Amino acid sequence: MRPYEPHVSVASRDGATTDDAALAAGWSYVRRRQIFLGAMAAPALIYVLAVAVGPMVQGFLYSFDNYNLIRPGSRHFVGLDNYLALWRDPTARRAVINTFAFTFGAVTLEFVLGLGVALLLWRDDWFNRVALGLLLIPATVTPLVVGLIFKALLSPEYGMLGYPLAELGLSSPRGLLADPQYALATLVAIDAWEWTPLMALILLAGLKTLPADILEAAAVDGANGPQRFWLMVLPLLMPTVFLALILRMMDAFRVFDIIFVTTSGGPADATNTLMIYGVKQGLEFFNIGVASAVSTLIVVCILVMAAVFIAVLKPGRNRYV
Amino acid sequence: MFDRDRLLLIVRRLAICIVLLVALAPVVWLFSIAYKPTRDIFASPPTFLFTPTLENFESVFRYFKLGALLESSLIIAIGSTALSLLLGAPAGYALARSESPRAIWLAYFFLIIRTVPPIATLIPFYLLMRDIGLLGTWWAVIILNTALNSAFVVWMMFSFFRTAPVSIEEAARTDGCTDFGAFFRIALPTVVPGLIASAIFCVMFSWNDFLYAMFLTKADTKTISVALLSAYGTKDISWGTLGALAHFSTLPIVAMMILLNRYFVQGLTQGVH
Repeated sequence: MRPYEPHVSVASRDGATTDDAALAAGWSYVRRRQIFLGAMAAPALIYVLAVAVGPMVQGFLYSFDNYNLIRPGSRHFVGLDNYLALWRDPTARRAVINTFAFTFGAVTLEFVLGLGVALLLWRDDWFNRVALGLLLIPATVTPLVVGLIFKALLSPEYGMLGYPLAELGLSSPRGLLADPQYALATLVAIDAWEWTPLMALILLAGLKTLPADILEAAAVDGANGPQRFWLMVLPLLMPTVFLALILRMMDAFRVFDIIFVTTSGGPADATNTLMIYGVKQGLEFFNIGVASAVSTLIVVCILVMAAVFIAVLKPGRNRYV
Repeated sequence: MFDRDRLLLIVRRLAICIVLLVALAPVVWLFSIAYKPTRDIFASPPTFLFTPTLENFESVFRYFKLGALLESSLIIAIGSTALSLLLGAPAGYALARSESPRAIWLAYFFLIIRTVPPIATLIPFYLLMRDIGLLGTWWAVIILNTALNSAFVVWMMFSFFRTAPVSIEEAARTDGCTDFGAFFRIALPTVVPGLIASAIFCVMFSWNDFLYAMFLTKADTKTISVALLSAYGTKDISWGTLGALAHFSTLPIVAMMILLNRYFVQGLTQGVH
């Protein structure tokens, strides 16, 4: 076993290292440590590059081909045609708008509700700890099942929610999910049911890192509840707020399961999102070229969000979190 | 004088109870319809009272090979979780201990991989699996799930290792412990909560996934979440059957989350902050 030697080998003028002992051993301590850490990280990196990044690049290349699995022989390069086809297809344009509308609506709703819940649970006592544990249950229910639960509950004939709504004339007789005007908003509400607790948890974790002495000092100085919230809590919480928002945005943007089982994009494309559109093009119509163009579009949007996320994460880490 | 703080506390608790009611009622409903006779499920207007029955569980056993479904889901979840931890924990450690400024960017790279939409990898991966003859096997799903899960584990273990003290490891290495020994015997035991949290999330992601399993498995390798969808698609099978099936698909994950709640919460918090 080699003892710990914290010195660094320095290359001298003639290019030879000054650390003769390390040279004799093969490598310097620092170099060996680097190789060890590299070897620890390499399997995961290689695996992810091969199984996740590889197919993504392959998909990116498919997006420039006319490639349909029903006629695999006729595959040929078409340049940007798939992207232009998306641009011209009203269904695809609708899917882009729906995806952004869904993401914006869901994240806004979840943030407002999540902040309220986080403030309610701020005080650390047994009641709130138990409540937080129970509150996280919706986030663990299979998203597919979440969709099915609400499809049944919202049925205008036998649903516990849908029946009274239809009877009172608050929804169309065919139910909220079959109403082109309200279907997307209904899905936003379902998404909020599932993910608001997670939003609340992230915000709560941020609240708990706030400096208690400053908040107490403000209370002693006579700041009332709303003043403390708007002038102290919210500004101090901002880094966590950004994190929570972007994290949920990236997830909401690729929503699939709950839409697939409730409306499958209908009625009349009212809830068709990019993920639904892409999966249908690729795995139902086997139109690999167009589906790949759709996934490239989604990846680009998510990468933009991720870039913002990282830009926020870096300073936020040093200042408050 | 009546205490104002006390009143405020009661109002807060009441509000939390209402939130809990909204959050839990649909889940309770899902499990309760399993005991409801089909006639009552489709009653219009809906009824709250019913005579409990086990007929829905009988039809689950009649229409589904429950053992085979659970076996598939378990093999995929355990296989992917084990592989992800094996790949992810050492990499998270390496990134946390590296002094190179590039390490943090590599950590972000792994984080972003987890957020990539499934469709971007699914179609090319599907064609690849078809070409090498793994389509329809558990391996196809395990391999793809592991790519996303291991990336997530790297990020999560990176954040756990970063908060673990370095000094003991350095002392151990000074005393002649190897680099790997310092990782395996000193650092790893201090981040057991992180390993548990990572495992919970891997199991949850794999178990709850249905998009990958739907396209990468075939009849005899399909998972319970794929069966849920087909349960709903068939005419003979009612919501009651679905509720009964959910006892096997959803209840284990919910139970795991409640039992390991501390690690679940810690993982979610640590992974972000």
